[in-house]
Amino acid sequence: MGRRRRRVDGAAGALPEAIAALSRSLPAGPSPEIFRRAKFDRPEAAPALWQLLFRLFSPLAADNTSVPPAPETQARFVKSVLRSQGYPRSALSQLPEDNSQGSRELLLALSWLLARGPLLERLLAQTRVHLGDHVPQWEAPASPGLPTSHVEAEGPVDLRQVQWLMGKLRFRWRRLVSSQQEQCTLLSKIHLYTRGCHSDQSLRHLSVAETEMLRDPEGGHQLLQALQHENARLEAALEWRRLELVFWKWMDTVLGACPPEGPTGASQPTFLPSIPGPRLGELELVAQELQALQEELQKVVETRWVTWEAQAGGLGRGPEWSTTRRALQEAVEQELVALRESWEQSRDPAQPRGPYRLVRSEDKDGKPGAQGLRAAEVIKVLRTQESCLETTLRQLQEQCRQELARLAGALPGLIWILPPRR
Amino acid sequence: MSVVTVQLGQCGNQIGFEVFDALFRDSHCSQGLCSRRENEAYQASCQERFFREEGNGVPIARAVLVDMEPKVINQTLSKAAQSRRWKYDQHASFYQKQGSGNNWAYGYSVHGPRHEESIMNVIRKEVEKCDSLSGFFIIMSMAGGTGSGLGAFITQNLQDQYSNSLKMNQIIWPYGTGEVIVQNYNSSLTLSHLYRSSDALLVHENDAVHKICAKLMNIKHVSFSDINQVVAHQLGSVFQPTYSAEGSSHYRRNPLGDLMENLVPHPEFKMLGVRNIPQMSENSLAYSTFTWAGLLKHLRQMLISNAKMEEGIDWQVRPPISGLPPLGKMSLNKELHFNTSIANLVILRGKDVQSADIEGFKDPALYTSWLHPAHAFSVWKTQRAFNRYEKSAALVSNSQFPVKPLDVIVGKAWSMFASKAYIHQYTKFGIEEEDFLDSFTLLEQVVASYSNL
Repeated sequence: MGRRRRRVDGAAGALPEAIAALSRSLPAGPSPEIFRRAKFDRPEAAPALWQLLFRLFSPLAADNTSVPPAPETQARFVKSVLRSQGYPRSALSQLPEDNSQGSRELLLALSWLLARGPLLERLLAQTRVHLGDHVPQWEAPASPGLPTSHVEAEGPVDLRQVQWLMGKLRFRWRRLVSSQQEQCTLLSKIHLYTRGCHSDQSLRHLSVAETEMLRDPEGGHQLLQALQHENARLEAALEWRRLELVFWKWMDTVLGACPPEGPTGASQPTFLPSIPGPRLGELELVAQELQALQEELQKVVETRWVTWEAQAGGLGRGPEWSTTRRALQEAVEQELVALRESWEQSRDPAQPRGPYRLVRSEDKDGKPGAQGLRAAEVIKVLRTQESCLETTLRQLQEQCRQELARLAGALPGLIWILPPRR
Repeated sequence: MSVVTVQLGQCGNQIGFEVFDALFRDSHCSQGLCSRRENEAYQASCQERFFREEGNGVPIARAVLVDMEPKVINQTLSKAAQSRRWKYDQHASFYQKQGSGNNWAYGYSVHGPRHEESIMNVIRKEVEKCDSLSGFFIIMSMAGGTGSGLGAFITQNLQDQYSNSLKMNQIIWPYGTGEVIVQNYNSSLTLSHLYRSSDALLVHENDAVHKICAKLMNIKHVSFSDINQVVAHQLGSVFQPTYSAEGSSHYRRNPLGDLMENLVPHPEFKMLGVRNIPQMSENSLAYSTFTWAGLLKHLRQMLISNAKMEEGIDWQVRPPISGLPPLGKMSLNKELHFNTSIANLVILRGKDVQSADIEGFKDPALYTSWLHPAHAFSVWKTQRAFNRYEKSAALVSNSQFPVKPLDVIVGKAWSMFASKAYIHQYTKFGIEEEDFLDSFTLLEQVVASYSNL
């Protein structure tokens, strides 16, 4: 009896611990009770889970000072992000958006995210407390940003308004760059002034956070609290890793508790955007036109192929061609190798990975140490990236220009005046 | 954030001096009608933007003085130094020994490239002394020779080298009956070049300011010094510190940026006009009191009727009833009646500023159809009084005011061009007829865009 009870206790005890660890390691994690209620699809568990998922996908909106958006917006956003990441269950998209239902489905979605990738590690990295000054890193956002309130365009939008807004955006970008330059100047000053203050010999000067701590002990307390909080989450994450097997076994039972999906569930295509009624006819027309165009092109291609064959049929097959062919193949091989090498090079260790602390060094030949990078290398890498992006931008702009010219040419009587160039 | 002022030519340098003087005197004025702490914050903010400290000396203006001859620059430097309250940096100036004979093309094609490196060097040194650069404020005349041609060239260079910094050109519109016979050519060329490389063109018309001096300030013989002081007063009322938000106690850090973002984001509409109320001689100041309601009512009517001062306003002009086209809508043959705005910025300074009611400026009828007043209108406030005016209001507006004057200038320039008068002065130095045509085209486009609001 005792042995069995212990075993049962062991299994039963591990699950609440695992869930508790998970909840402690998530930012704004819901209580373990919510998890339990969600298994039984209780409606009161739904809001907390909607909010958690929202928080996971939009860390910027998770700032405590900002007002959280309406439940409908949250729900729509969560659904669209999950869809774009490939969440396989259609039951999620069918949930109502008023936060009232779907706790079990949301629990499944959360576990799916946890199982797919290093979710916890990513979240912890996002909220990491930094003591040093960091190289600002721009990461392409993994998920689309929060959709702003959708403005229905009533009737045609005046192009001038769009230009006005574009101009405002451009001004803000410029001001952002100016502020960043200001930040750099000031950082440089702080690093210069606090030379020799740091106990760590390899760093030699203080960062902004450290200087603030010295100036304002109250701030130091807050920093300490933040670090303790982060520590607690890290410990919870470690415990979670230890116990997660139990959680996955339990999730199997949750999945089992779901009603089976409809027969079309598995084969249902990815969610299609709803098409407003009157436009359906237009789309059919367009589809037919495209079909006809494709058939036409195929015929043209066939005739061309036949003529080419007739002209060049004999060529390329004689013995004298084998050398040329071999030479061509070698040239292509070399190009491929060169491309691969440049690809490897651009992913060399000078690529900043993870947060790096900015340290001002006086020696010209100073070795950055095992983990360090010299700013010059990072700058070089960033410059090559910049030039790649610029070439791509120019290509896209050229494409746009050609497209516009084509469209303008199609309208008789339209005169094309380009903006003045210097 | 700091603003570096570039003073170009005789006009630019003389006005620049008055501007810095007005800013300094106001920020150190004891009749600010606010607490000492408030006053100190105001002073510090103004200081950060326009001056810098060096050791224990007087504050140094963040300015670069450029001219082709030494006379005006030396006068300006010494005038500032003599005041013993602030001064210019002796080294932040560039001048040559000889003038350029009022030739725009010479200024643009010869002086510019020849002295490009030295001038940009001087500017760069001044920029390096800023912790954070918000942008450049370039003061120049439009119709002169050197100042204008060189100014256009330098603005272009600033665009290339400091593409992320903002650039505002303060341009002085010449008298309609000016002395320089080719002033319309110069104006056209200057405006078209600046339109391409500057972010905002703040216009002051000599004729309008002259009237203000004569009628409002009761000056019998209006000199350039009087005109410059009025201009400086108007600019000061725009650029002195204001609170960053409703109810905030911090001063706005980047007024140039905020102003531009609100008023000139559209690349076709870059011209701004300033109106200030009240404007009077110092003697009358002590005997006058104002209410915000009265001031704002006048200011609004000044905007609508395109009046430049608070006397002689045409009160008949009314905003159009929504749905109907505005009264007297655009045909340039008729008198322009109603001045449609694209965007407006009202700046209020002084006592009880919180109680000022600016609802009148939020009327959608004042604005063009494609911009809602919520986006088109902004207001800045501070209770600190400006230049001893107990209450004062300034209006910076992007509206149809440049249509008529611009049209006049382009028309006159075109007539001269059609008979090829004086063109050789320009072609001699590399400004071809095609450049003239490009300029006319651009300006006609600007006139058309503004007319079609």
